Amino acid sequence: MLSFVFRRLAVAVPTLLILVVLSFVLMYAAPGGPFNSERPLPPEVLANIEAKYGLDQPFWKQIVNYVVSVVTQFDFGPSFQYKDRSVNDVIAQGFPVTLTYGFWSFVVAVTVGVSLGVAAAIKQNSWVDYFAVGVSIGAQVLPNFVMAPLLLLVFTLWLGWLPGGGWNGGQWQFLIMPVIALSTSYMASIARITRSSMLEVLNTNFIRTARAKGLPMRRVIWKHAMKPTMLPVLSYLGPAFVGMITGSVIIDVFFSTGGIGQFFVNSAFNRDYSVIMGITILVGTLTILFNLLVDILYAWIDPKIRY
Amino acid sequence: MLPNRAAVEGIAENMHLAEVKGRSLWADARTRFLRNRAAVISLIMLCAVAGFALFGGLIAQYKGDFVNFSLIGSNAYLGVPSLETGHYFGTDSNGRDLFARTVQGTGISLMVGVVGALVAVIVGTLYGATAGYYGGRIDGIMMRIVDVLMSIPFMFVLILMLVIFGRSIFMLFLGIGLISWLDMARIARGQTLTIKNKEFVEVAVATGVRPLKIILRHIVPNLLGIVIVYATLLVPNMIIFESFISFLGLGVQEPATSLGALINEGSRTMQFGYYWQIAFPLFFFIVTIFAFFFVGDGLRDALDPKDR
Amino acid sequence: MTLKSRLFVTTAAVLFATSGVVFADAHATHPVTGEALASDQTFTYRVGDESPSIDPGLVEDVDGAAVVRDLFEGLYNQDAAGNLVPGVALSHEVSDDGLVYTFTLRDNAMWSNGDTVTAGDFVYAWQRAASPALASPYSWYIELMSIENGAAVIAGDMEPSALGVTAIDDTTLEVRLSQPLPYFPQMLTHGTTFPVHQATVEEFGNDWVLPENMVSNGAYVLTEFVPQERLVRERNPMYWDNDNTIIERVVKLVVPDENVALTRYLAGELDLTDVPAGQFPRLSEQYPDQAVSVPMACSYYYMFNLRDGASPEIQDPNVRKALSLAIDRDIIVNNVLAGGQKAAYTFTHWATAGFETPDIPMATMTQAERNAMAVELLTEAGYGSDNPLSIDLVYNTNDSHRSVAIAISQMWKQTLGVDTTLANQEWQTFLEARSNGDFEVARGGWCADYNEASTFLDLMQSESGYNDSKYVNPEVDALLAEAKTSANPQANYDRVEEFIAQDTPIIPIYHYAAVDMFAENLEGWPYENFEQTWYSKDLYKIAE
Repeated sequence: MLSFVFRRLAVAVPTLLILVVLSFVLMYAAPGGPFNSERPLPPEVLANIEAKYGLDQPFWKQIVNYVVSVVTQFDFGPSFQYKDRSVNDVIAQGFPVTLTYGFWSFVVAVTVGVSLGVAAAIKQNSWVDYFAVGVSIGAQVLPNFVMAPLLLLVFTLWLGWLPGGGWNGGQWQFLIMPVIALSTSYMASIARITRSSMLEVLNTNFIRTARAKGLPMRRVIWKHAMKPTMLPVLSYLGPAFVGMITGSVIIDVFFSTGGIGQFFVNSAFNRDYSVIMGITILVGTLTILFNLLVDILYAWIDPKIRY
Repeated sequence: MLPNRAAVEGIAENMHLAEVKGRSLWADARTRFLRNRAAVISLIMLCAVAGFALFGGLIAQYKGDFVNFSLIGSNAYLGVPSLETGHYFGTDSNGRDLFARTVQGTGISLMVGVVGALVAVIVGTLYGATAGYYGGRIDGIMMRIVDVLMSIPFMFVLILMLVIFGRSIFMLFLGIGLISWLDMARIARGQTLTIKNKEFVEVAVATGVRPLKIILRHIVPNLLGIVIVYATLLVPNMIIFESFISFLGLGVQEPATSLGALINEGSRTMQFGYYWQIAFPLFFFIVTIFAFFFVGDGLRDALDPKDR
Repeated sequence: MTLKSRLFVTTAAVLFATSGVVFADAHATHPVTGEALASDQTFTYRVGDESPSIDPGLVEDVDGAAVVRDLFEGLYNQDAAGNLVPGVALSHEVSDDGLVYTFTLRDNAMWSNGDTVTAGDFVYAWQRAASPALASPYSWYIELMSIENGAAVIAGDMEPSALGVTAIDDTTLEVRLSQPLPYFPQMLTHGTTFPVHQATVEEFGNDWVLPENMVSNGAYVLTEFVPQERLVRERNPMYWDNDNTIIERVVKLVVPDENVALTRYLAGELDLTDVPAGQFPRLSEQYPDQAVSVPMACSYYYMFNLRDGASPEIQDPNVRKALSLAIDRDIIVNNVLAGGQKAAYTFTHWATAGFETPDIPMATMTQAERNAMAVELLTEAGYGSDNPLSIDLVYNTNDSHRSVAIAISQMWKQTLGVDTTLANQEWQTFLEARSNGDFEVARGGWCADYNEASTFLDLMQSESGYNDSKYVNPEVDALLAEAKTSANPQANYDRVEEFIAQDTPIIPIYHYAAVDMFAENLEGWPYENFEQTWYSKDLYKIAE
């Protein structure tokens, strides 16, 4: 087990390096630059700016400098777009926001999704099942860029219950709508996976045996069926987590939460190379770590897996 | 993004079992599928939606790009859905017939979904089968590449691709497809590992058939069941994904449109009471995705009798 | 100096007005108008995106400039009509050759930490703004102001200390120009010329703009700054005119989506937001006191690519003219945008100071006549149903640009049978394509740098860096050059506009209007200010 974790971590380093180089190359291949604007800058002004940000140096040198400063000082450089801030500032401000509503969405999606799925599976083909399946597919097909303005109309404009956006340090009133909008489609996926996985498990021999022995249903579900049911759900959590981080773009646009999603898309459009790189590395690292965590959990739950 | 990987994985084994028994797997599957009411109804609905996309243009009174200038800016009282004016679904904010546009949008969304899923499935299957067949170091390297690509935020890649290579439907197909082949590759590899030790593959190797031919002739056909199920479940995800790209303003170019783009436009005018601008596209969007999910589930159940 | 005397009168008027209410409750009634004031004087407004910087030396966008104007104060401010009123400077004198300006600063201007604002602060700020070390994207503004050695300092050929600005003593600032510039004082209301606190900047470096570090001299101080979410500024008790400030707290919220912003405005969360395209008629009917449309100093146009090697069809002026004629601008402004914009047949905005819109024949024709003429011109040029013209039109991704492009492409199709391929590009790609000449027809928009017709028409000059059409006409160049020194350049501007109408290097489509929703109880907004230069200190909220 330990050597497995170690091996995976060893792979993570070159993965990140490749990620850095790849996004660097893609960024530079894109037309436009961080300092283009409707009114082209005079050449001497542009020269000053490029010198300040080290963009006047050869391409390979920029990459090397970048990697060195990231690795040795954990410094992702200055933002080209937000001239008062460094990339570290941008991330330090935006990431906790995204992480907060991402975490709550994750919790909501998993608890509600798993409960719905289990309920549907136990009462297969009853109204509970149809209701759960209907809700989960409905939630999955309603795009969150429709859901978000709908929530705003209902809860802010018509009912006046919730503030229409902003973050305000993460007060709960400001969290509710982002969490609903972000979690529903993942909740739906988790419910569907849980349902079909639970159905499959309930049909296996060991569960049939347990039930034949007269164990109460509740005990069978919790003691025996839950663990194997969670395996496919677990493997979905990795992509779900990343989806919530990147999906935060929509949340930030509609609820003005100021998370990294907004910074991310703006930076791609503004060619703010350093911010894009910083966020990509951050999200890439998180993805790797999260997938690793999922794999470890997987191994812990599923006795069949040997590394 | 791809919730169905695990659910799909059991199928191939069952297909081999069926072969051993010498019964026609496909006939069996068809019977099972037809017994699934939700799946059959969904299939009919899918056909209806496809028919709407293909032939709806024939009953539209206007072309999708035709602007009725007298209707711009007066949606609320003139652009409402009406049989009399011939704008069955009303008009959009730019004075164009929403019926014709919904027809076109449905067509493009279906196309994006199907082609995107096809690209993903073809690339993924070939890649996974190759890695699995060769095994060893080649396998290790190929799968590490998949791992690396998986840890890149896909949205970022697609935005960059659309930005760098310009925007076109082709780019969108390619971009969406290329991002979602990774899961397919993993599944295909896993299945190939079990298939390649089967007698018929060993015989082929012994008789000197070239590896490429073995992969294409012997391995890929045995992955077909899994591929079909996976592809069906991938289509709605592709459509949802396209709508997200449209939301970012990186979708198809005007005057062409997609359901995602129409819904996005509709959601902007929702608060002004132009409900039809969102209701009609959203209806077709939801029906299509519902139907694909049910058909996909039905196919899986049909090809994987374990659940019954 | 007329300016000096006028400034003095204005100051006196303010002093007179305020002295009468010294003993009244500061927040019960407005000192001048006597209106009852609301108890909550918080002004909350919406912007679409975070500003690149709020450092006066680096500020580059309109929203950032508004923040900087509240936090810092330059030599002069603008009043509601756009006239100069004293800021840190009380008055100035100009040498006879127009090259040396001597400003007299007030002695009661203070930084928020209690230090006095001195002429030296301005010298430091201007040298800093021009220095290659700061590398400000707005350093060219110093050059535009024609300050002695400005260009050389920016290019790095001279030390910043060589810049033509000197502090004679704490309250006397001398500025030397390289050429006379009649509108030099007007340029001093821009953020780039505002002072910064040297000790703070040197102590904290880049971080000096953080709320906990910033020392400023404006009517407000920065109290909270969460990029992409909010920026809060509160009354600065050290400000010399603090007694006349009414708004206590100003909150800038970043709300990227304008429909969401409107929802939040209607829910009472915002006092000011933009009206989404096409929604003005409905909103002004429902909320007549809140929906406001005022002219905004920008022109919207389509440009043709006239470079060598660009597509040959559009090199024919008759084809271009036909395309221009076939656009029904009234539909664009009345139906598509419907926000008080005005149909444009000239490039220069109709409300530009001192500009009389010349008579362009096209402007007085009916649309039917225009269409007939367009068809005739295009047929002459050899295009028709058997040989249809195809055009590529690019615009940057934006809802209202898209609506305009869709409408125009259909006008061309329905009137002329022209096939238009629409392409929207995201901003950076669009800019690159346009400046590289990688287009046939592209959307353009130009906003005035100053309130005079040449700010628009100079784009038609062959060598202008902003002439993305690459329109070359020596006669136009000569007319524009002559206008610079002419006492009454209107005749020249008329001629240039006629050339634009005749040669059609660009198609003027409409003149912008700022279309906003203002909270009913918000007063003091400078609607007449063509550049929309507003100061929170001039606003107030009345009791409802």
